[in-house]
Amino acid sequence: MQYNKFYTAILLAIGISMGSPKAQVVQRDTTRADSLQDQRLIDSVVVMGRTRVHEINRQAYNVTAIDATKLHNSTLDIGHAIDRVSGVRVRESGGVGSDMNISINGFTGKQIKIFIDGVPMEGFGSSFQLNNIPVNLAERVEIYRGVVPVWLGSDAMGGAINIVTKTRNRSYLDASYSYGSFNTHRTNINAGWTAKSGFTVQVNAYQNYSDNNYRMWMEPSNINTWKREPAQYIRRFHDTYHNEVVMANVGVVDKKYADRLMIGVQLGKTYQEIQTGAQIESVFGSAHRRGNIVMPTLRYYEKDLFIKGLTATLNANINVGKEQNIDTVNVRYDWLQNTKYQDAPGGERSYTLYKYSDNTGLATATLSYDINKRHAIVVNNVFTTFDRRGSDELFPENEAYEMPSRTRKNMTGIDYRYNHDGKWVASAFFKNYNQRLTSTSSYNPSGNWGDVAYETQKMNYNKVGYGVAASYFVNPDLQIKASYENAKRMPEAFEIFGDMVNRVSNLELKPESSDNVNVGVGYFFNVTPDHRFALNAGWLYRDAHDFIRERLQTNQTRYIMENLARATNMGVDGEVRYSYHNLISAGASLSYHNFRNMTMYDNPEATEISLVYKDRMPNIPYLYGNADASVFLTDLGGKGNNLSIGYNLLYVHNMYLFWPSQGSEGKHIIPTQFAHDVNIVYALSNGKYNVGLECKNLTDARLYDNFSLPKPSRGFFLKLRYFISQ
Amino acid sequence: MKKRINVLAALGLACAFVAISCSDDPVNPQPGPGEDDGDLTNTKYIVAAHPNSAEAGTADYLLTVDDLTKGSISTSGNGLEQRGTYRYYMTNQNRFFSMLYGQGNPGAVTSYVLNGEGKLTEASDFVAETVQVFTPVNDEVLLIKVPRSGNENAGFFRVNAKDPQLVGEASVNVVKLAGNGERAHFTWATQVEDKVYAPYMSIKGCCNATFDTEYPDSTWVAVFSYPELKLEKVIKDNRTGVLGEYFKNGIFVDERGDAYGFSGASKTRSVNGEDVLISKNPSAIVRINKGTTEFDQDYFFSFEEKTGGYKINAARYFGNGKFLVQTYGAAKSLAGVKFAVVDVYEQTVKMVSGLPDNIKSATTTNYGAISEDKTKAYVGLTLESGSSYVYEFDATTATAKQGLKVVGGTITGIHQLKY
Repeated sequence: MQYNKFYTAILLAIGISMGSPKAQVVQRDTTRADSLQDQRLIDSVVVMGRTRVHEINRQAYNVTAIDATKLHNSTLDIGHAIDRVSGVRVRESGGVGSDMNISINGFTGKQIKIFIDGVPMEGFGSSFQLNNIPVNLAERVEIYRGVVPVWLGSDAMGGAINIVTKTRNRSYLDASYSYGSFNTHRTNINAGWTAKSGFTVQVNAYQNYSDNNYRMWMEPSNINTWKREPAQYIRRFHDTYHNEVVMANVGVVDKKYADRLMIGVQLGKTYQEIQTGAQIESVFGSAHRRGNIVMPTLRYYEKDLFIKGLTATLNANINVGKEQNIDTVNVRYDWLQNTKYQDAPGGERSYTLYKYSDNTGLATATLSYDINKRHAIVVNNVFTTFDRRGSDELFPENEAYEMPSRTRKNMTGIDYRYNHDGKWVASAFFKNYNQRLTSTSSYNPSGNWGDVAYETQKMNYNKVGYGVAASYFVNPDLQIKASYENAKRMPEAFEIFGDMVNRVSNLELKPESSDNVNVGVGYFFNVTPDHRFALNAGWLYRDAHDFIRERLQTNQTRYIMENLARATNMGVDGEVRYSYHNLISAGASLSYHNFRNMTMYDNPEATEISLVYKDRMPNIPYLYGNADASVFLTDLGGKGNNLSIGYNLLYVHNMYLFWPSQGSEGKHIIPTQFAHDVNIVYALSNGKYNVGLECKNLTDARLYDNFSLPKPSRGFFLKLRYFISQ
Repeated sequence: MKKRINVLAALGLACAFVAISCSDDPVNPQPGPGEDDGDLTNTKYIVAAHPNSAEAGTADYLLTVDDLTKGSISTSGNGLEQRGTYRYYMTNQNRFFSMLYGQGNPGAVTSYVLNGEGKLTEASDFVAETVQVFTPVNDEVLLIKVPRSGNENAGFFRVNAKDPQLVGEASVNVVKLAGNGERAHFTWATQVEDKVYAPYMSIKGCCNATFDTEYPDSTWVAVFSYPELKLEKVIKDNRTGVLGEYFKNGIFVDERGDAYGFSGASKTRSVNGEDVLISKNPSAIVRINKGTTEFDQDYFFSFEEKTGGYKINAARYFGNGKFLVQTYGAAKSLAGVKFAVVDVYEQTVKMVSGLPDNIKSATTTNYGAISEDKTKAYVGLTLESGSSYVYEFDATTATAKQGLKVVGGTITGIHQLKY
């Protein structure tokens, strides 16, 4: 057993950043594709933290990495873990498994790309989101808030999240179970074994279950009278969510032909009851959704391929899983659980059993070459395919109109990097995006009822993007960074073709673009050797065109994606961290965005300037922050037993649902949130056995991310975890 | 260029749809005086408008004004915010109802009254169904939820207007009602004496062609008892097309108690990507005489013939047999906006003069502002240039005059309340 490594892991596992240098949020070099695969580097990152500013290869990108191992004793999912990062806001419509929308510096939804181990998480299906993946799956989570590096080959408008699952140890077992309020159960088993021969097996299995039956304060409307009842606490009653996922990989490591070659499969399924529509007034008691994921994967990594310094990475996967919306009970519910049934075929929202598969395939290849100590080149190519097929057994006659929709997207990026002995690092990159759409639509050729013919439309988009990034160490404790990217994003298949349920297609959706500038400074200092501080501040500017936004379709029953406004955003964020010996760690961050609508005329014929020109973009968080504090008591109740007590505060300033400048009375507001979470973790035998107790929403505040849709009330959660490795 | 036109057309359609899809009190243009409203002499107009914006999801704002014939107003820093992009408005019993179209989900409704100072004040807030038809019947509001596919039952809901609550409901199987393999889709409903007449169109409700039909040249009116909402009869005719349209009223009762039905006879089908007219009958006005439940076969007023090929888009009743009819920009066309004053007694049509030529949308079916003497109508017209205006239409001279300007906004409804 490598004692040091183990010791570090334990410290992290129980949330101790031993010694002030180990701030909770660490930063590291991820520009190098190979670093992803380098286990030793991760160790060093963990140990060094961000305070070792003279650590070489500090990158120029605006990136924050969360050391997820420190959260492994918490019941957090990855979504909630990244919500604590400066400049990032995760909005949810409810409890476990609810719809989640990540925003990074004002960009939201599909404008933010998510990766697992550098592979784009596209086509995982709507039911696999970051808020239902346990944090234990991740070794760390990297959040890119500006330029997205070339080796993460994809089109992002300004922001990406990369979940790094690589396991640190050759053989390990991490098993945990948690139980808590709202009948919430979570299990995670993460195990790996590597034989002397290099044969490796990795299994990661997790499960989430919750009734999500939390309390909400409201005046419920009665479906029998249509009158509102007196204000009262109502429990949600049709909001059960569960998912079960197994990821298994088999392969070899440290072979001549491959440093790592793994084939695997990700299998999962999800069940989600639909409790509400987009507003709290819409109550459902029967409609639900099912999905599964069946995704074979291939991972290949080879260092010093043919020549020294040349590294190759190859990833491929295809998801043939299916999604289905089930709404076949013709009933109306209210929050008091009164029901009214009708004896005709119908649903609560939309009578449907529509089932579809997107058959999303993906292949990425990265070649990086370190020419010498100073010069390096990375070339990356990502190819994705999408081929939708669906049907609804309730409406077999519709099948004639159901034609396949396909996209092929290819992105190539090249990055040149210069590293001047770590003193300064500069990178310039160029990306090419190509998207080919094939859609077949039905039409009536004769005018006679029921006559159907098919027409295939093809569209081809080609766009280029480019950028530069640089960082400079003024002195070992002071770093300055700046980056610029002309970012492009091709609309995703789901945005172009819709989902046939709640979203209709818009084949004319154009790529969107944005000019992104980030400037940042990091400074580390000690008041005395015992009191250590870290400061980070950033400034950003965004100028987005053909901004892709969601709106209600004209017929008002579905959503459609549209290229709409020009919008700009100027923002600042700041973070300060403090630590005292091994005893206390605390920090706070705050972000402000001045995100404005810059669309002067609302249509090409208009001669009058739009009333909402230069108005703040509504319903987007613009002032928010986090604060946290932890106390660590080491060797409590025996050597190697450690206790930590932590506190976390989330703050989101109130915001208007609609344009701030319009109207004077009855403005709809999403209220200010103050969410307090506390946790106690007791780790025994150097982290082999861990017990964590958490309280989320300590003050039982009424929290809203979205208008009228409350987030969970106060909840308590207990987690037991067993961890060994060698 | 083609794309731009399509986008414009879509925007125009969207706006037109929003503008014309609400209608209020078609039976009695004046808000009916309730038992405690009899002494109220002051009038305020409620103008609903939203700012023009390329950004989706903007809200409506309720602006309260004294005079519709002059001045200017804006939603910037002014007005009562109404949640939701699609809202529908109506008045009954001197109450103003603001309804959220909730995409088939339950929809929130707020009712307002004017207080003693003439300020718009919330009276109640309740959750109803999202409906496609809402019409005053006596001192109630009748709401009809009309499913276009899937569910085969249309729901009828009676709401007490003064103390909003559900006082009765019924349902009708629209597939059985149509009886032709398609679905009966109610366009609107109108109180005729003590019954409710609900005209419908026949729609496929499936197959990527929800609103298509094999029966574009028939007229149907379902007759319901009230308050029982029992289907008593279906009145049929084959001389013109459907009365009213989706979200548009097509039946009006005059002072004599006769009901006049307005048909656009403008059913289209998408053929090779273009909308082609499939109605063969002319756009026309038909009559159901008082005390009967049949179309008067001796009365047939072909608007299309009288105007040399124009079709009716929407109609509004002044009084004394005179109607304001919104038609299209040209003969044989289904695009553009023009107006005409129609006398159903004399069977005459006079085209309205004094209108701007770049009208994007109009609130023809949903204004509640008819002057006391029944000679003036106030309609919101939104222009391509971005602003919208209230226009005063004169029933006698068939002229229109520009009035209140709503700067940078689209008018979605004009209503009046007393205080």
